[in-house]
Amino acid sequence: MRVITVFIAIVSGLAVLGGYFLQDFFPVLTQVQTLVLNWAIILAGVAALGGILNLISVHTGKVRHSEKGSIYSALLVVSLVVTFALGIILRPEHSAMKVVMSGIIIPTEAALMGILTISLLYAAIRLLRRRVDVMSIVFLLTAVFILLGSATLPFGDIPLIGTFARWVTQVGALGGMRGILIGVALGALTTGLRVLFGADRPYGGS
Amino acid sequence: MVISPDQINLLTGVIGFLFTLLIFSYVLGDNPLFRVAVYIFIGVSSGYIAAVAWWQVIMPRLVYPLMSAIVSGSMIEMGLMAVPLLGALLILMNASPRLMGMGRVAMAFLVGVGAAVTIAGALIGTLIPQIMGTINAFDLNAATTRGIGFVEAVSNGVIILVGTVLTLAYFHFGARPKADGSMHRLGLIEVLAWGGRVFIGIALGAVFAGVYAAALTALIERISSLINFITSLLGNFL
Repeated sequence: MRVITVFIAIVSGLAVLGGYFLQDFFPVLTQVQTLVLNWAIILAGVAALGGILNLISVHTGKVRHSEKGSIYSALLVVSLVVTFALGIILRPEHSAMKVVMSGIIIPTEAALMGILTISLLYAAIRLLRRRVDVMSIVFLLTAVFILLGSATLPFGDIPLIGTFARWVTQVGALGGMRGILIGVALGALTTGLRVLFGADRPYGGS
Repeated sequence: MVISPDQINLLTGVIGFLFTLLIFSYVLGDNPLFRVAVYIFIGVSSGYIAAVAWWQVIMPRLVYPLMSAIVSGSMIEMGLMAVPLLGALLILMNASPRLMGMGRVAMAFLVGVGAAVTIAGALIGTLIPQIMGTINAFDLNAATTRGIGFVEAVSNGVIILVGTVLTLAYFHFGARPKADGSMHRLGLIEVLAWGGRVFIGIALGAVFAGVYAAALTALIERISSLINFITSLLGNFL
């Protein structure tokens, strides 16, 4: 089984990579890539459904065993099943589903994002109390300068702060951000290559 | 029963108002009202995602083409659709601990495709554009068209280049752990990494400011929606 899974991972990965980099030499690879990506999208959709089934299973188990907080699990399962049933019967474009989206999902997401204001402020204060080093001081000073420079204040802009904040965003922060992005891309590239070489097998069968 | 758009708006407003209040109750600390809202939110979002996955992925990409292939009797089409159908069945086998091994075949396929997309994305979408961006910071013709002088363009380009190199030095992967658990790097790399720490602090500070501004905007929007809802409700009754 291990050989089969490694073989499938390598072949499917090479088929997709071939479509990206060898399409000029072998135009048929583009069609192969499209087909394989279409299969992957279908399987990702099924995997998402599988994950949601697992969520139902875990929370149903909590309710069945009357674990602590099982009332919340019951709420989760009921709301999930009702929304899914409505979505399947009425389709996601129906006005009832729009009420679900505009009445529950969007306001809750926005409110959670709003709550983040307090959490982030608290985290910033804790950072200064727990770890005072170059990075944390530069981090907080930059954040304060940019916020002061971009905020609309009742007495107008603070002289120089706006210009400095713009320069920090467009030049100073760009170097660090570019380094982080290149580092992340190199890490992703290495991880992807390790999977395609069969060195890493996150699908199991190690 | 037909619901008018006004009734739908009222219903949406009432539910949105309630959920916003329940979430804002977190300001008083973790409490049952907040948990009720969060658990319902997770359930509703998961149900919505499942419905969207069903109608926008599984039906149009798997079920309809499979039915069309069966109706037309095309063996090639049926063969092509049999592969994802088999994969879907294998993935669903993951639900059973006894059959989980079979699901690995489909997961291997997904991981292989994901790795290839990641490699191509990292190379075409990040590495090459970021490296070109760093080089193009020294493009004096482009700087002139944007009204930036020679000295400013070169100094900005140098700062960006130095920031990029120092940040990469901070993430130098050749560091070795010492006996006390701290990382040991070459002296030069250590100096460069210290500079990289400053640039990372600036970059993360800018990201933090952006996220904070977005969170503040969301907070203002929610508070404004609460006030609007109450005033419109009072306006209807008074």
